[in-house]
Parts: sequence; structure tokens; C-alpha cells
Amino acid sequence: MIRTAVLATLLTLALLLAVVAVVLVPIVLVLPDPRGAVGMFLFGPLADLRHLGNIVEAATPLMFTGLAVALMFRVGMFNLGAEGSFFLGGVFATFAILRLHLPDPIMAPVAILLGAAVGSLGCVVPGVLRARFGASELVSSLMLNYAALFAGLYVVNYMLRDPNAGAMLSYRLPAAAKLPRILPGTRVHLGVLVGLAACALGGVYLFATRWGYEARVVGANPGFARHLGLPITAVAATVQALGGFAAAAGGAIEVQGMYLRFSWQALPGAGWNGLVVAILAGLYGGDFAMDRAPLGGLRAVVTLPAADA
Amino acid sequence: MTPPLVAFRDVEKTFPNGVRALRGVTFVVRAGTCHAICGENGAGKSTLMKCLFGLETPDSGSILIDGRAVGPDHSPRAAAAAGIGMVHQHFSLVASLTVAENIVLGREPTHGPLIDRAAARAEVRRTATRFQLAVDPDAQVAGLSVAAQQKVEILKALARDVRLLILDEPTAVLTPQETAELFERLRHLRAEGLTIIFISHKLREVRALAEHVTVLREGRVVGDAPIGAISDDAIARLVMGREVRAARREVRHALGPEVLRVAALSMPAAAAADRLVDVSFVLHAGEILGVAGVEGNGQRGLVSVLSGLTRPASGQASLLGRDVWRMDTAALRRAGMGHLPADRFAQGGARTLSVADNAIGGEHRSPALGRWPLLSRWRVERRAATMVSAYDVRCRGPRALLGSLSGGNAQKLIAAREFAAEPKLLIADEPTRGIDIRAAAFIRTQIIALAERGSAVLLISADLDELLSLADRVLVLFGGRIAARLENGPSLTPEALGPYMLGLRTAA
Ligand SMILES: Nc1ncnc2c1ncn2[C@@H]1O[C@H](COP(=O)(O)OP(=O)(O)OP(=O)(O)O)[C@@H](O)[C@H]1O
Ligand SMILES: [Mg+2]
Repeated sequence: MIRTAVLATLLTLALLLAVVAVVLVPIVLVLPDPRGAVGMFLFGPLADLRHLGNIVEAATPLMFTGLAVALMFRVGMFNLGAEGSFFLGGVFATFAILRLHLPDPIMAPVAILLGAAVGSLGCVVPGVLRARFGASELVSSLMLNYAALFAGLYVVNYMLRDPNAGAMLSYRLPAAAKLPRILPGTRVHLGVLVGLAACALGGVYLFATRWGYEARVVGANPGFARHLGLPITAVAATVQALGGFAAAAGGAIEVQGMYLRFSWQALPGAGWNGLVVAILAGLYGGDFAMDRAPLGGLRAVVTLPAADA
Repeated sequence: MTPPLVAFRDVEKTFPNGVRALRGVTFVVRAGTCHAICGENGAGKSTLMKCLFGLETPDSGSILIDGRAVGPDHSPRAAAAAGIGMVHQHFSLVASLTVAENIVLGREPTHGPLIDRAAARAEVRRTATRFQLAVDPDAQVAGLSVAAQQKVEILKALARDVRLLILDEPTAVLTPQETAELFERLRHLRAEGLTIIFISHKLREVRALAEHVTVLREGRVVGDAPIGAISDDAIARLVMGREVRAARREVRHALGPEVLRVAALSMPAAAAADRLVDVSFVLHAGEILGVAGVEGNGQRGLVSVLSGLTRPASGQASLLGRDVWRMDTAALRRAGMGHLPADRFAQGGARTLSVADNAIGGEHRSPALGRWPLLSRWRVERRAATMVSAYDVRCRGPRALLGSLSGGNAQKLIAAREFAAEPKLLIADEPTRGIDIRAAAFIRTQIIALAERGSAVLLISADLDELLSLADRVLVLFGGRIAARLENGPSLTPEALGPYMLGLRTAA
């Protein structure tokens, strides 16, 4: 048993090395200073606090989208709406901040919640279409991501856009809307802690609550779920809503933690990387123990450079 | 002397989870014989056969075919090339393909780059006629009854040129008539020179077919003898390590209050296995009502309507006086229905979830399992451990995946779960199919005990001995109609049921 585990790890390492080599070869061939470039590529991220901070900053949104994908796939739905939800989450958090005149002390959290609630639609709609009409959630979520993009851009352009900014940017976000930095010398913000907590909560939900139990049964064998009389449609839809909520909260937190203005012109790709993270973290594999779920979040951080490279 | 067709020498196999499934298995199978392998659930029978067929690799020891040791690269393809065919305990058919497509899978007759469907169909018809196993080559496997799927499995193995046919519990899903028919075919094949390895928990079948029997217990060979040199009792003792008493219902009580009333239930348009025409009956507390019939005569439809999986076209049903007409499974379960499904892995449980997760299904909302909305892991595992020990489920503990259990053990766990809910109405669909003598006796005892405590039991079974030893009354289904309603008693025998099951007589 231990032997197979060691073998699997070695194999993973070998594969990683091979991938890195394949990526590096063309780079080395075209650059004037190949040694410096390779050194920068391999060790740059670990060089100092600022660079380490970059990793954590980039990992933060992926914790949310990774969690979202892992949840949604667990009930057997291949819902890729996390991308659209993430984008909408950012848009509607900005909307709440700029248009709703929220009192300063509650502005940041209310904006996140509102963005998350509206943004979750990006995952709920494909889930409901599947449950009610049998439409493939894979196809509909992929297409709806673009609907989410253009709906979001419409809102930005007609309601949030700063005419003096010279590009399609929103007005500046007020200080009260921003998430506090938690590591001096970096841009790492409170969102990373929220992300870790969300992943831990996701693990508790899936593996320690009755709802999570039902979700896992529906995902593992719908025939068994039917035999037990579980409300399969409701369970699946609920989990899609939770997944969408997590992804959209990630979008809101990304905007409020990292940006001066809302400035996305296209889908930022966090949903796709979330898919990679969920797979790398082993979150949606069939056979892993409860203990490992909260680790998914941490693993997301560690696996990020590979996912983003 | 020619070497034996197959020889096992000190075969050892330990699974990655630490289960020692085979411990120094040594015995030979001679060409042209029918060789039975007996042993309780989890004894290692399927694992040994998978080693022979190249699906598992032994850790040490050797397997010799025609006196030559198989290499480390042994695979199902190599086994097939050596003339070995295997029918698995759990079906390995592709549900979305047709019968013909399944049978020729992996060696499809081609016409240029395309599959020659006509040739495939013709080949299947030929094989089916040759072995007299009637199947429709164009039927989709997903729509077939379990028995029909088993036939396809056997045909699939026979369709390749085999010298050795391995049958892992082939009769577990067949009716007595179909079993008799299969045995007829197998005897014929043996006369043509085919060697057969046959796994069964039913000693009567072993005696009817085999010349030689090997008994496994906990991965060891504990007995190996020509069938003439060993008595049934001796085999049973070797299998179990002790005697087992058959379960039989002795006391019959006065009828209790009415539990289930079904009136004029009909689903005339459904597929044959689901078709029901004007089915009416009453089931009382403390009563066991047996349902007999050749598989595919409406049993599946009856079970799926009563368990809330399908809505009938017309009819009425009441459970404990409440109208349950068109209630869904959740509502029926709340009203006191329990269901032990025939297809354990499709409905009864989830292979990729743990034993504990499978054990608490249906009970997972109970306050006994932790403070709402949490599930206390400790309580869940303790609950599962209770079932595991009460039903003697052999597994590594509550965290083992259901899929890692032997077929019979998975089934015991599912039975334990359904019985633990103390249902007012238990629908037991083939409750002992595929489980060993001791476990079968145990489950039958549990069914009787449940009835003694006042539950009503609807028992669907293709095993007529089981039906007649448990049921108070027997309904015979034929073509979706009730062909006979019979009081059970000493005069009711499997032979007496035959004409009703075949639609030759009615007594409704
Ligand atoms: N893939 C597997 N991983 C881990 N353990 C396994 C696996 N397959 C079988 N086992 C274990 O090996 C033992 C032997 O299993 P096997 O399936 O050979 O039993 P069997 O004699 O065929 O029983 P049954 O009559 O119930 O089919 C059991 O304890 C089972 O739990
Ligand atoms: Mg077996």
C-alpha cells in the first residue's frame, strides 16, 4: 500500500518535471540569457516575500472556483458555470458598492454577499435546465458563460462606467469597499483567509452534514438516491447554487481585494483554472477520505504555479 | 499422463487494502470435467477466477495452463487466446449497446472500416441457436431483465472459441426452469469436450453438474474431492466450518390487520418484465406473501410500482389504510415501506461510497446520528459497525468502500440496512440471491423474525424452495396477471407451481 503511494508520487514528480522541461525548451532556445531566464522561472517565485505573496494572491480566487467546481462535480453535474459566476460576482459587487449607497462599515461584506447571490445564477441556471429539461449542463453552462460576460459588460458600461477613465473602467472603488491587506510588503488580503475558511466549510458540508451526505449519494449513484427516495433534483440544484455562490464570492473578493476599479473586459479564466485546481487537489475523484477535503484549499495554493504556468 | 488443463500452485493474493484473499491455493482442474468451487462469501472464489482470467495478478505462486506457467503479462486477452471464457458474477455488459454489439465487442466483424452489423447479428443468432439460449440480438441491454443479461453474458463467453468456461455464480439470477435448461446445455457442452469451472452456493446444483469439488475458506483450500466421495453435509461443513440449520417458518399465526391492499393495478403498455394487468391482493401484518413466476412476468413492474419508482397507469393501493396511490418513494418510505432491491449495485448502494455511508442511507436524517444538521462520524461508523457485526459482513471496517466487498457481503450490508428500519411493509426482491448458505439462512431467519414482529412481507423469489419455506401464501404471476393464488402447505411443491408459472393453468 505504501509502495503504491510512493510510486504514484514519484510518477507525479516525473510528469511535472517532463512538463516543465517541455515548457522550458522553446523559451531557452529563443532567449539571449537562457540561464537567467530558467533560474527566474524556477526559483523567482520563491526568491522573496513579494514574490511569495504573488503566489498567494493568485491562488486566492482559485480557492473559491476550485471549491465551486469540486462541489458541483460531486453531485455528478459537469457544470462549468464557475467562470460566468466569478465574473458576475465581480460585476455585481461593484454595482452594490457604486450604486447602492451602503454605509461604510458594512459596505465590503454586503457587496460580497450581493455579488455572490446574483453571480450564483451562472451555475444555477444550467443546473436547473438540466434538472428540469434534461439539457446538458456542460453545453449550457459553457454557452451561458458568454451570456454572463455580455450581461455583465452591459451593466458595467451603462451603470458603472467612469466616463473620465478613458477606457471601459468603473468608477474608483471607495476605501471602505476594499478588503484589508494582511501581510505587509505584499498585496495578500483578507480574502485568502476567507477562501481557506470556505474550503474548510465546503469539506464540512460535504462530509459531515446530512445535506452533504445526500449530495454525495446523488453523485455516487443516482439509482441508489432514487431507491432512498432522495429529492435528486432539489439536491443537485442546491449544490449548484452553493457552487455558484462560492465562485461568485470569489469574483467579488478578487475585485475588492486586488483592484482600484472594475476593469475586466473578458472572462478572467478563474473558473477554468478552478477546474484544474479541483482535479489536481483530487477533490472530485470518487475515492478520497473526509480528512482530505479541507486540504483541497491548501493544495490549491501549492498547485497554483503549475496550473497557471 | 497429459498435464491438467489448469493447475494452481501456492497462489497468494493480498489486496492493497491488506485483505489476504488467497493463501497458498493449490489444486488442479482436469480437462473435460465440470469442476465446482464452493465457499462462503468472501472466501476468495471470484478473486481466484480473476487471477486465472488475467484480471488480477497473484502476488506469488503460479497458474499453469496445459502445464505451462502463465507469465506476468497474463491478461484477459491472453486468457481468451488460451481458450478461457469467463462469465462474471457482476455483469460486465455495456448497457447502452445492443445484445449483438455486446457479444462481438472487441472482435467486431467488419466491412471495410465499418462494423458489419448484419454479420454480427447473424453470428449471434447462430451461437444462440447452437447453445439454445434465446436472445434478441437487437434488444438494448439496458432494457433486459437480470436473467436475460446473464444469458447474454454466457453467450458472450461461448461465442469465442472456448475450451474452458468459468461461470461465477451463473444461476444466482436464473429461475429453476432456466437453471435446468442451462445445465442441460452445459452437460451437452461438456460431452463435446468443454471444461467448466462452476461457482455456486447451491449444493444441489453442484451435485447435479460437477464431477469434482474444491472448497475454499478464507483463501485456503480446505477440501478437494470427487463429488462421489463427499456428502452434501460434508461440503456444507467444510464451507462453513460448522453445521447450518435451514430456516423454515413453523408457526403460522392468525392474520393480523390489513397492511397493504392493492386493487386492479395495471400497466398494460409496459415492457414484458414491467407489464401488470389487473393485479389485486391484500397483505396482512405478520404475513409473508410469496410471489412466484418465471422472471420477466411482471415481478419487476410490481416491485417498482410498490416501491414508488414507477407510477402505474391505473389501480389503487393503500398502505395501513392510507391511500398511497401514486406516492413517490420518499413518501412510501415515510409511510413504512422498506425495499431490498434485486439489483444491489444499481439501486441498493453506491460502490464508491464507504460501508458506513451505505449503511445509513434512509436513516441519515435521524437525530440518533448526530446533532442537526451534522452527522457525527463516530455515531455513523458505530451504527455501521453494529450492522457489520450483526450480519457478519466481512470487510475492513466501516471506512472500506462498498465496491471492495465480495458480492455476497455487499448484499448482506444492504439487507442489514433495510431490515434495521423495521418497515411495516418489506418488499424483499430476491433477498438471498448470490449469498452463501449460512448468510442466506440468516437473512431468511431475519425475514421470519420481521414478520413475527408484525411486518407484512412481500417476498419475490425465483428460488422456489425459499419461497415455499417462508411464504404463508403464494401468488403466481404470468404475463403480468395473477395466474394463481395458493395457500402454502405440505402439498404445495415446486413441481405443483410449474404449470401456473408456465401459464398452462390458472387458479386465481
Ligand atoms: N478489489 C478489491 N480490493 C480489496 N479487497 C477485495 C477486492 N476484491 C475482493 N476483495 C476482498 O477479497 C476477499 C475475497 O473476495 P472474493 O470476491 O474473491 O470473494 P468470493 O468468494 O467471490 O465471495 P462471494 O461469494 O461473496 O462472491 C473479500 O474479503 C473481499 O472483500
Ligand atoms: Mg464472488
